[in-house]
Amino acid sequence: MRNLRILSEIMPWRPLFTGKLNLPTETFAALIAAILVIPQGITFAYLAGLPPEYGIYSSIFVTLFASLFGSSSMLGGPNTAVAVLIGVTVVPFSGRGSPLYIDYVILLSLMVGLIQLFIWLARGGKYFQYLSPAAITGITVGVGIILILSSLDGILGLSPSGTLFFFEKIYVMAGDWHTLINPYSFTIGITTVITGIVAKTRYPRYSILIAMAVGYIVGLVLMGIFTQVNTEIELLGHVPFQILPLSYPKMDLEYLLVGISMLPNALTIALIGLAQSMVIVKNLRSDTDQPVNADKEVFAQGIANTLAAFFSSFAGSGSFNRTAVNQSLGSKTPLAGILSAVMVFLLILFFAPLLSYVPMAVIAGTLMLVGIGMIKPQEIARLFSWTGELSVFFVTLFSIVFLGLQSGLIVAFILSVIMFVLSASKLEITIKHVNESVQIRVEGHLFYASIDQLSSLLKRHRHENVLLDLSVVSYMDLSATEAIAKDLQKRKPKETTFVIVLTSQKLLEHFEQRLEGMPVQFIQHLRTQ
Amino acid sequence: MLHNQLTKPGLLFTPLILALCLLSFDSFSAGPPTIETLLERSYLDDYHSNVVFGYRIVTETETYGARYSGNHLRCTNCHLNAGRKPDAIPLNVAGMYPKWRSKNGRRNGIGLRIRECFVYSLDGIMPPEDSPEVLAVAAYISYISHGETIGEAPAGRGVPTLPDTGYDPNPANGKAIYDKNCTHCHGNNGQGIPGVPSLWGMDAYNKGAGMANTSKAAGFIWANMPLGQERSLTHQDAFDVAAYINMQIRPGDPRKSKLLKLFEAITGLAD
Ligand code: HEC
Ligand code: HEC
Repeated sequence: MRNLRILSEIMPWRPLFTGKLNLPTETFAALIAAILVIPQGITFAYLAGLPPEYGIYSSIFVTLFASLFGSSSMLGGPNTAVAVLIGVTVVPFSGRGSPLYIDYVILLSLMVGLIQLFIWLARGGKYFQYLSPAAITGITVGVGIILILSSLDGILGLSPSGTLFFFEKIYVMAGDWHTLINPYSFTIGITTVITGIVAKTRYPRYSILIAMAVGYIVGLVLMGIFTQVNTEIELLGHVPFQILPLSYPKMDLEYLLVGISMLPNALTIALIGLAQSMVIVKNLRSDTDQPVNADKEVFAQGIANTLAAFFSSFAGSGSFNRTAVNQSLGSKTPLAGILSAVMVFLLILFFAPLLSYVPMAVIAGTLMLVGIGMIKPQEIARLFSWTGELSVFFVTLFSIVFLGLQSGLIVAFILSVIMFVLSASKLEITIKHVNESVQIRVEGHLFYASIDQLSSLLKRHRHENVLLDLSVVSYMDLSATEAIAKDLQKRKPKETTFVIVLTSQKLLEHFEQRLEGMPVQFIQHLRTQ
Repeated sequence: MLHNQLTKPGLLFTPLILALCLLSFDSFSAGPPTIETLLERSYLDDYHSNVVFGYRIVTETETYGARYSGNHLRCTNCHLNAGRKPDAIPLNVAGMYPKWRSKNGRRNGIGLRIRECFVYSLDGIMPPEDSPEVLAVAAYISYISHGETIGEAPAGRGVPTLPDTGYDPNPANGKAIYDKNCTHCHGNNGQGIPGVPSLWGMDAYNKGAGMANTSKAAGFIWANMPLGQERSLTHQDAFDVAAYINMQIRPGDPRKSKLLKLFEAITGLAD
C-alpha cells in the first residue's frame, strides 16, 4: 500500500489521466511564464553570485523537472530567497562567479535536492503546515523589502558600493552622491519602476513586461546618444548559452570538506525551499480544485534540485509570483510549467543577442517592482485585529530585515510553533452545578501542557459528584489520562460518583483500557447539546 | 553525559579545521604557488580562486570572458604567454596603478585598463567596475606582479618603442611583407585560422584599440611576430605591415559609432 503510494508520487505527470486539458490556455500561460522567468532567472543568478546563463539553465531545467514530477500548476525554478541563501553560503569558499564557485553551487544544489528527497521519504511535507499565515506574510514582506533594497544598487548604478548594509549605503550616498550615482542608469531604472507602477493599474498581468520594454528602449536611446562606453551603463552582456549544459558535482576529499561545512546551510535552503513550495500548495488547494498532492510536490522539488546539479543549474523552489500569474491566466496543470521550460529554451536560442543589451538597471527596476508587489497592505491590515498574529508578523519581519533571511525564517518557524502550542494548551472550561453534581465541560486538547488546569479543578471538586464532559475533546495524551486516574484514586467511591461523557469511540477505548477497575462510569453521546 | 554529547560535534570538526589550516598553510610556506599548482587544486581561498578564474579569462576569453567580449580574440593573443612575456604588453603591472589621468580627473585603477581592453581589443561592451570578470583579472594581475617594485615599470613593459626610421610607413610594402610572412598563419584576408587570431575584419580588435595605433602595433609585431621568428623583420617592415593591417576594415570605435553595435546584434539575429 505504502509502496504503491510512493510509486505514484515518483511517476511523472501524464496528460492522459487529467481529463480536460485546455491546450491554448496552458500554452499562453507558458509563454508568459517563460518571458517572466528569463529576467528573473538572470537576476537571481546574479543574487546567487553566478553568471547569467546559469539563471537561464535553472529556468529551463529546474522548472521542467519540478513540473514534470509535480501535480499542479505551481511553477518551480529560480527563487529569490533560495538564490540569496546560495550566495550567502558559497561566498566564503570562493570568488563569486569563478569556476570553483560554480562547482560549489552545483554541489550545494545536489545536497539541497537530496535533503529534500530525504524529507519526502520521511513524509516530512506535513510539518510545513505549521508555518502560520502571519509568519508567512512577515516572510513575504521581509523578502520584498530585501528585494527593494538590493535593487537600489542597480537602479542608482552604484556598483562599487558592493554589499554595504542599507543605512551605510544611504550614509555613503548622502556624502558623495554626485560621483557615485550614475545618472544614466538612474534614468533607466526610475523609468522602469514608474512605468511598472502605472502599468499595474491598467494591465496588472503584463505590467512587468511593459516596464521592461520601456526601460530597454530608454536604455537604447541613451546609449544611442551617449554610447555605452561613456555612460558606463551596465549591460547584461552576452549570455553564452549551451544547448545541453551538462555538469556533474565533483567529489573528492576537498569538496567533501567544503560540502560538510555547507551542510547546515544546505539544510536551511532545503527547508526554506520546501516551506515556500508548501505555502503555494496550501494556497492552490484552497483556491482551486486541482488535485494537488503535497507529498508529490515535495518529491518534485527534491528531484528537480537533485537533477539541477547535472544541468548546470542552481537549486530553486516554487515561485509565488510566477505561480500567481500562471493561475490568473487559467493554467490548471503542470503542462504550463513543462511548456514554459521549452519556450525559455526557444526564446534564448533566437533572441539572445537582443538580451545582451538589456541594462542591469532595467533588471534592478523589475526586482524593485517584484519587491513592491510582495508588500500587500490589505494583508497586513488584516492582521491588525489579532495581537498575537501581529506580533508574529512584526518579529518575523524585523528579524528578516535586520538579521537576514535565514535567521528570520527560523524565528518565523519557532514563533509559529509557539503560537500553536500556546493556543492549543488553553482549555476552555465551563462549570455548572446541576442538582447534586458538578458539570465540567472541557474544550481543547488535553495533553501535558494543558492538563494542569483540569486537574486543579478536579481536586477542588473531589468531594462532590462530577460529570466530566469531554465530548468535544478530540485529542488526549497519556499524561492527561494519568492525571485523571490519579484523581480517581484519591476519591471516595462510596460517597460520590464520577461520570465521563464522550463522543469519540477512540477516546472511550483509550479510557476503558487505562481506567480499568476504577470507580468511573462512561456515557457515550453521539452529539451533545 | 550531556557534556559529552555537546562536545561531540566539536571533536568531529577538529580534524576538518586542522586539514583546512594545513591546506591554507602550504600556500604561505614557499612564495606564491605557481599557476599550474593552483589549477590542480580543488580547494582555493577567495583570492586564489579569483587568480585562477582570472587566468582562465586571460587564456580562454571566449569562454570565461564571453559575457563582455564581442570577438573571438583572447587576452593572451596580445598579452602573450598569459601576460608573462616581456615586450608583449606583459600584465605584471599591478604596481603601476592606480594612476592619475587628467582625461577624466580621476585616479584610474587597473580595472579601467582591463575594461578598456574588453571594449576595444575585444570589441565588446564595457563591463562594470565590480563585475566578477574584472575583479578576477585584477587578482590575476596582482598575482603575476608578485616581486615587482611598486611604481617602477617592470622590464619589457608594453611594447618596444621602435626608433624613427625617417620614412613614412608604406602600406604597399606592408602588403608584400604580409603576404610573404604572415598569410600562412593569419590567412589571406587576415581572418586567422583555428589557433591563430584574426587581424582584421569584423571579428578583430576595433578602431579604438591600442593595437590600432600603428607605432604600438609595429613594436608588437617587431618584437613578437612572425611567431617563432620574432625580431626577424626590420623596423621599417614592421611599420609598413602595421600600417597595412590598420588600413583594413574593422569594427568602428565604439565611442563614435553609436548604434552600430546594436545593428550588428540585430543583423546577427537574421543569420
Ligand atoms: C588586440 C590585442 C589585445 C588584446 C586581445 C587585449 N589587449 Fe590588453 N592591451 C593591448 C595593448 C596594445 C595595450 C597597450 C595599450 C596602451 O599602452 O595604450 C594593452 C594594455 C593592457 C593593459 C595595461 C598594461 C600596462 O602596461 O599598463 C591591461 C591591464 C590589459 N591590456 C588587459 C587586457 C585584458 C584583461 C585583455 C583580455 C580581456 C586584453 N588586455 C586583451 C592589446 C590587447
Ligand atoms: C607561426 C604562425 C604565425 C605567423 C607566421 C604570424 N603570426 Fe601573428 N600570431 C600568431 C599567433 C598564434 C598569435 C596569437 C598569440 C598567442 O595566442 O599566443 C598571433 C598574434 C598576432 C597579433 C596580435 C593578435 C591580433 O589578432 O591582433 C598580431 C597583431 C599579429 N599576430 C601580427 C602578425 C604579423 C603582422 C605577422 C607577419 C609579420 C604575423 N603575425 C605572423 C601566429 C602567427
